[in-house]
Amino acid sequence: MVKVNDTEVPEGLYYTKDYEWVKIEDSKARIGVTDYAQKQLREIVYAELPAQGDTITQNEPFGTVESVKAVSDLIAPLSGTIEQVNTEVQNRPELLNEDPYGKGWLLVITPSNMDELKNIMDYAQAVEWHKSL
Amino acid sequence: MPRKIVIIGANAAGVDAASAARKTDRTAEITLINKEKHSGYSRCGLPFVIGGHIPNFNNLIVFPPSFYQMMKLNLKTETTATNINPTNKTIDTTDKTGNTETIPYDSLILAIGAYSFIPPIKGREKQAVYSLRTIEDGQQIDQAIRNGARNAAVIGAGLIGLETAIALKERGVNTTVIELLPQVLPVMLDKEMAKLVHEMLEQKGLRIIVGKGVDEILGAEKVVAISVAGEQIPVDTVVVATGVRANTELATNTGIATGETRAIKTNARMETNIKDIYAAGDCAESINIITKKPVCPQLGTVAVRHAKVAGINAAGGYALFIGALGSAVTQFFDTQIGVTGLTEFFARREGMETVAGTITSKTRADYYPDAKPIKVKLIVEKESQRIIGGQIIAGEDTTQRINALSFAMQKQMTIRELAKADTAYAPPLNETWEPMVLAAEVALRKLR
Repeated sequence: MVKVNDTEVPEGLYYTKDYEWVKIEDSKARIGVTDYAQKQLREIVYAELPAQGDTITQNEPFGTVESVKAVSDLIAPLSGTIEQVNTEVQNRPELLNEDPYGKGWLLVITPSNMDELKNIMDYAQAVEWHKSL
Repeated sequence: MPRKIVIIGANAAGVDAASAARKTDRTAEITLINKEKHSGYSRCGLPFVIGGHIPNFNNLIVFPPSFYQMMKLNLKTETTATNINPTNKTIDTTDKTGNTETIPYDSLILAIGAYSFIPPIKGREKQAVYSLRTIEDGQQIDQAIRNGARNAAVIGAGLIGLETAIALKERGVNTTVIELLPQVLPVMLDKEMAKLVHEMLEQKGLRIIVGKGVDEILGAEKVVAISVAGEQIPVDTVVVATGVRANTELATNTGIATGETRAIKTNARMETNIKDIYAAGDCAESINIITKKPVCPQLGTVAVRHAKVAGINAAGGYALFIGALGSAVTQFFDTQIGVTGLTEFFARREGMETVAGTITSKTRADYYPDAKPIKVKLIVEKESQRIIGGQIIAGEDTTQRINALSFAMQKQMTIRELAKADTAYAPPLNETWEPMVLAAEVALRKLR
């Protein structure tokens, strides 16, 4: 893990320019918002997420996170079918602030096309991109 | 077609309006126009940077550029809105290079703020005469101190004037405050409460002159002295803090109505007399909850509450602004001062008959180390027996008591109800009998 301008960017994840991260877990992908995003949003009060079984499409909005002063659309980093939704963050949205790469995860999906990973940033690219923010 | 929302102004009111609008409408195109270089910063923090409590003026920027990017807000800085065309629903802008642009809107929010009002004192155009409204103003005053300012005069003993005077003093500058009215904090406090603040400030080494005006600012090009009622006081720096006035020119040129406070008139949805044009913040009028009359408190808290309402409505939602009490707090050295509602002076001027209850107590159990003094004054309207104002001067814990009084007044609580209030207690935190309750009992006696 490196810190870029006080923002944590863990190794081994993929990232999008819509401030999300993707962790590949065998044939599945876990999705969340980045440390940068939660720091920008500050106190997150609400996460609106789709349901298990729904499908999401790369670059299309699938939900929102809302903080006291801000709101951000969640843009799907990959296409796929939702296997798990983190209901814990719906009850305790502050988990997104406290542990964005851990307990604050949002969805686990089965990606329909792993090639889509080419469209998003790997760790090295993400570090460079975070420097530009 | 996404809704086009244009917001003129990008500080407390402008940015909060943008945030509320974005929360209401995720797809709207939201544009902020700011004539200043810096956006989304806290003006209220400026004196505390000058005083050295906050390291840097940049620390006051609450919303950095990345915020606008993430919220998909289109921010145009150093750009001035020059004209509104409500028929075509467009505004005209000019940026710093002189480029002009016409921007269409579906909803427009005016968050155009206020300007420091400098009274026509002879010599006010001289070098080293400052006011404090923007980061640039703050930087100029800070630079004057760095360049060796020794003696300063602050004209005006309102909140900004005194906060700035204290900041100067904290930086080692001998400072004299001159107030035309017969007391410090004339809008916030009654005379006897103001006297306590006055004495405390003198004890801390400020010179305070009340009831006298500045006749002239003297000096060839640069200030060398001010003349106050015949006395010449040598100074090298002057800060004028005689209040702010709503910016309204852009609005009135378009036929947008202003009210009796000379700020932009709004309805409960913060909409002006022209459909789809809203106003929020220091430029906009609101209704005082107690007098039901228009007021223009020009406070940060009012600005953000205005802005939330304006932003929601401008984005197609529905929200109402319920009015203002003028609740305000500050800290002068180690004394906290707070106010909400009407002063006794102002209530009487409005024709109300009042009684007041004042109590001096401690902020912790009397035996507990570091217990600090607290003085609470409550003002009650005689017939309804409702609380209509509160003033607190204390060593600590002023803000939440002012908030509690504000909540009580919003719910139209009577003094009898407050005298029976259920309160919490622990020796390190407060006295067994809550000072507000004791002050209520004092007021009640006068109603018998």
